[in-house]
Amino acid sequence: MKLDHLQILKSGSWISAFAGAALLGASTAAVSQEFDWKQQEGSSVNVLLVSHQFVEALKPLVPEFEEMTGISVSLDVLAEQAAFEKLLADLSSQVGSVDVFMTSPLNNWQYATANWLEPLDEFIGDPALTHPDYDVGDFFQGVLNSNRWTRVPMQGIGEGPLWALPINSESYLMAYRPSVFKELGLEVPKTYDELLAIADKLDTGSAEFGLITRFDKYWDLPYLTFGTMLQSYGVEMIDADGNLQICSDASVQATDDFVTLIKTASPEGAGAFTWYEALQGFASGQYALSLNEADLFAPVYQDAEQSEVSDDVGYAPTPLGPDGTRKAGAWIWSMSMNAASKNKEAAWLFLSWVTSKDTMIATHLAGNMNPVRASAWENHEVAAMVNRWGETPGQYSDVTATMAEVAAVRFPPHPELTRMLDRWAQAVQEVYFNGSDTRTALCEAQDDVEKMFN
Amino acid sequence: MSARTTYLLLFLPALAMLALALYPFVQGVLTAFSDRKLYYDTSSFIGFQNFIALFADDEFHDSILRTLAFTAGVVFVQIPLGLGIALLLLRQSWIQPILRSTLVLPLLIPPVVAGLMWKTMMQPQSGIVNWLLSNVGIPPQTWLSHVDTALLSVILIDTWVFTPFAALILLAGLQSIPPELDEAARVDGAGALLVFRAIQLPWIVPFIVLVALFRVTDSLKSFELFYATTRGGPLNATRTMHIMAYEEAFRWSSVGKAMAVVFVLWLMSYFISMFLMTKWQRRSGVHHEYG
Repeated sequence: MKLDHLQILKSGSWISAFAGAALLGASTAAVSQEFDWKQQEGSSVNVLLVSHQFVEALKPLVPEFEEMTGISVSLDVLAEQAAFEKLLADLSSQVGSVDVFMTSPLNNWQYATANWLEPLDEFIGDPALTHPDYDVGDFFQGVLNSNRWTRVPMQGIGEGPLWALPINSESYLMAYRPSVFKELGLEVPKTYDELLAIADKLDTGSAEFGLITRFDKYWDLPYLTFGTMLQSYGVEMIDADGNLQICSDASVQATDDFVTLIKTASPEGAGAFTWYEALQGFASGQYALSLNEADLFAPVYQDAEQSEVSDDVGYAPTPLGPDGTRKAGAWIWSMSMNAASKNKEAAWLFLSWVTSKDTMIATHLAGNMNPVRASAWENHEVAAMVNRWGETPGQYSDVTATMAEVAAVRFPPHPELTRMLDRWAQAVQEVYFNGSDTRTALCEAQDDVEKMFN
Repeated sequence: MSARTTYLLLFLPALAMLALALYPFVQGVLTAFSDRKLYYDTSSFIGFQNFIALFADDEFHDSILRTLAFTAGVVFVQIPLGLGIALLLLRQSWIQPILRSTLVLPLLIPPVVAGLMWKTMMQPQSGIVNWLLSNVGIPPQTWLSHVDTALLSVILIDTWVFTPFAALILLAGLQSIPPELDEAARVDGAGALLVFRAIQLPWIVPFIVLVALFRVTDSLKSFELFYATTRGGPLNATRTMHIMAYEEAFRWSSVGKAMAVVFVLWLMSYFISMFLMTKWQRRSGVHHEYG
């Protein structure tokens, strides 16, 4: 098995965007006279969304679109798992009751295999359907192209048809409570060794518990958060020679260290924490440190109405691995069009409006992080908002820029990937809950994953 | 209206209902013998391969045991508890009408809502249950978030939701006892315990079997509470057969394998129900003889 690795976030684009943020003005909302937004007046679009800050930011803007186009939009917002289940049922029935939906490259590897997705290149290239100011080149091309795939398992990511348009991107960082670290006289750890050394001290101050991170039995563990730790230990699911690395020495080491961290610094019950518990837990002020969690939780941490730590939160890059390496996972929320949609032109008008420069900026200002268009990072208001976050001005921006350099999807495109990663996560949980021998548990998972490729 | 027309008018809706029930069932059974994946247009008949793979999988054996353990836990806790509540409600008292109407409240709450509510309350760090326990000196429990306590916690939540059902049916059974039986026993000097053992308990056995029948079949295919609380976790501690089928179908798109799990679950449910139905019919006969 040969892998194509995709560097999702082109660090150069991100860094230049940050540097230029204070200098460049907001993009203008010049509406071309020639473009006919009313061409699908009277039609309707059904949109399935996953409950997310992006959705809260988008909702108030939708009436503007309806007024501008005469298209009626129905938003169906569900919790993540329920949304994906409903989506699967709708897409597989090919009834087309959902026209546009939130998704990600990982999910789309399955949907594209099934011919459930409408390729978007032709819509983008059609001047009658796409506003001249749309500017697809404004997207970070690494992020945009993560939604391209040739549909050949194990290869072709970043090539072939465009199956979705990105709406935000997420990588991982440490969030910490400066007051707690100061009180304990501790430095924010720069390596996993340093973190392991202070893990048992984190709950000895005013924080009730040491650290929090998601630790459920699902794919997001090895794909995103613990995946960030694995990759910094040098573990990728498949190495350059095409061999599975789930039970490599480095993977065993990373798993042992991860379980030690959880057992030392997290409360009982940490083995059932989803991203939601991780977000709420740190925002509740009970924890000293949030390890390798989503950077886009920052708008919640910073919001005094939703967080107890809004005036006591700092951000730091994820720790370095044993040989000084830092790598991170990446998640890209995107929107796709159902191939069975009966209102494709209207659906495209909505999709292109949502992902347009102005709409994107408006959602970012209402908490949809992180921007995937250069113009959004260049916007004064977005830059000013983000620069306020952290222990010191610009801390969040600096940390996310650092993480953008090392964030990537380092997994093979395959329709069974979620099942494979679920099995991997199960092995990590076996080590934590059952005290299973780490190598045995991981190698059993690797054997099962090997069979799933066939 | 001729007899022929009457039969025809009955026959056609009956046929439609049969077809509506049978078609999905047969379709489901056929799918269990296929390698159908949601994301492939085609699927092939693969005989018993799904079943062979399942029975060779330790995790499937564990999920059967978990399903049976949950069902046994539910029945053995809820029937005695329901009976106790029914006996309390049988006593005439000013508080009885209030208790009766309060009792049915959990039954009016959808199980998913009840599950989410209890999940929040049982949250080890911030839930109210551990806070209440801490006030009486009991250390915090892990409830739904540890492999050792998760299944028991779901049984407790199920008990909160469905014990009123057991209590209502058993109360109806106790109220159906002819008063002269009770009065005669008491005239002969029988105490409450003897009345319960010699009259009430034998009388309500068919009602107990009826409650068991409903609770067993419901518990075998229980899904909503697990979905709302643990989704089969932590690890696989609450991964019952229904949750396993759900994961196969909706997480991994393996509809063929999911239907095979459901088919085995259906067989188990069918045979256990038949056994209990036979018991119930035999015991109900006793009442008819008395009547």
